[in-house]
Amino acid sequence: MIRMSGVSMVYSNGSVALSDVTVGIKKGDFVFVVGPSGAGKSTFIKLLFREIAPTNGHLFVNGREVGEMPLSEVPYFRRQLGIVFQDYRLLPNKTVYDNIAFAMAVIEAPRREIQKRVDHVLDLVNLRDKARTYPTQLSGGEQQRVAIARAIVNNPVLVIADEPTGNLDPDTSWEIIRIFEHINRDGTTIVMATHDKTVVDTMKKRVIAFEKGRVARDQEKGAYGYEN
Amino acid sequence: MKIRTVEYFVGEAASSLRRNSLMSFASVSTVALSLLILGMFLVMVLNLNLMASTLESKVEITVYIQDNLSDHDQREIGTRITKLPGVSEVTFVSKDDALKRFRERLGAQQELLNALGDSNPLPDSFQVKMDKPDLVKTTAQSISEFKGVENAKFAQEVIDQLFVLTRLIRIVGVVLIVFLALAALFIISNTIRITVFARRREIGIMKYVGATDWFIRWPFLFEGMIMGFTGALIAILLLIKAYGMFTHQVYETLAFLPLLPQYPMLTHIGVFLLVIGAVIGALGSTISLRRYMNV
Repeated sequence: MIRMSGVSMVYSNGSVALSDVTVGIKKGDFVFVVGPSGAGKSTFIKLLFREIAPTNGHLFVNGREVGEMPLSEVPYFRRQLGIVFQDYRLLPNKTVYDNIAFAMAVIEAPRREIQKRVDHVLDLVNLRDKARTYPTQLSGGEQQRVAIARAIVNNPVLVIADEPTGNLDPDTSWEIIRIFEHINRDGTTIVMATHDKTVVDTMKKRVIAFEKGRVARDQEKGAYGYEN
Repeated sequence: MKIRTVEYFVGEAASSLRRNSLMSFASVSTVALSLLILGMFLVMVLNLNLMASTLESKVEITVYIQDNLSDHDQREIGTRITKLPGVSEVTFVSKDDALKRFRERLGAQQELLNALGDSNPLPDSFQVKMDKPDLVKTTAQSISEFKGVENAKFAQEVIDQLFVLTRLIRIVGVVLIVFLALAALFIISNTIRITVFARRREIGIMKYVGATDWFIRWPFLFEGMIMGFTGALIAILLLIKAYGMFTHQVYETLAFLPLLPQYPMLTHIGVFLLVIGAVIGALGSTISLRRYMNV
């Protein structure tokens, strides 16, 4: 699913965020990306959905060479991905239903298809009864569930989550992680950057740890490995 | 592009126009003002052109002949003029006739002429009518070279002045319109910038879920075009009203002045202004989108 070889990322101000990173992630994997702040986690995540392009090296995501991709193709590339952020990024003036439907509408999906898929993902995140409410009326965990529903509504092959539980209490975090686990069981690859030690240690999934822009550790069934 | 998508674009544009109603109003007014002035200049230039060509087509040449020429020589000149191409009618006006006409024209003030006593300073002349207006100038030139002809005059000066005036109005108009169009562009792009800023979250999300750049741009382009279009519409209505009042005034007081009828001239100008309005709107949006959205 993801093949990164010899990738470096130097920002225009000269700071080196990643240097010579080589990593492979198979289809259907569930991977945690950990490491201290400024270690390169965010840069790694942003490269995956072509928010930024690598300075050096090759990056293949879902069979596409992301670094060489012309900008006009980036939207079509992103339609195969689902992206979840720490701060949910919902539109406050749209209902839960419309927030999710929006992701399909902007890629011009047929209306009947939209209704079917939105109902389906609302069931999946257990928010069918909140479809007509607005994000501000929801708890943080519920808002993140809406964001996850939006991320998966277009049937992505890869879901990228950047600290999805960063703003949530432990119980709520577990709800969110269970949803990701469920999505992963259905065959979707998950790459999640996190600071949540308990979650990483309990899940026993693959862990890629970044330090100073390099991969410091890459373990199957790994642990968080840092003191929080 | 699907119809539902277009509906979505227009809906988005309309809702953001409502949200920024004050800025939208300012934009529409600026466009309306610019286009109204553009329209007025067009009307003026078109009418002046008409006046110039009417004058040209009506032109007569007055040929003054030297005093103390024999009747034979006078007749000879008359015959030669008649044979020139484009000349339709030649009338002899004797100096006595000329004085009589002059008296009539002076009306109540004809006692001024009494000072002349019995002498008559006016020369004999021919009135030459032409049916080919474009030949007037050359004909007048060749007549003035005839033996015994003092000079040959036509309304050249008036026509020249009209052309100078038309040219001047064109230059002033172009400068003014460019200036106003820039102002309209500036204010529209500012309005769109505010909209873009107000919707930056939405734009960000659209990009993450894979909306194409054009899909993101269209609502803003529509918003700009709606503003430009509305401004143009207002300008057209004002122009129709103003020109109607103006022609009415002219027909009452200066009936001889040739004016273009309101239609189809205003229809053509109207279509032109609508297109210009929409173009200004779309251009204003594009400027903002390029600078503030990177799409």
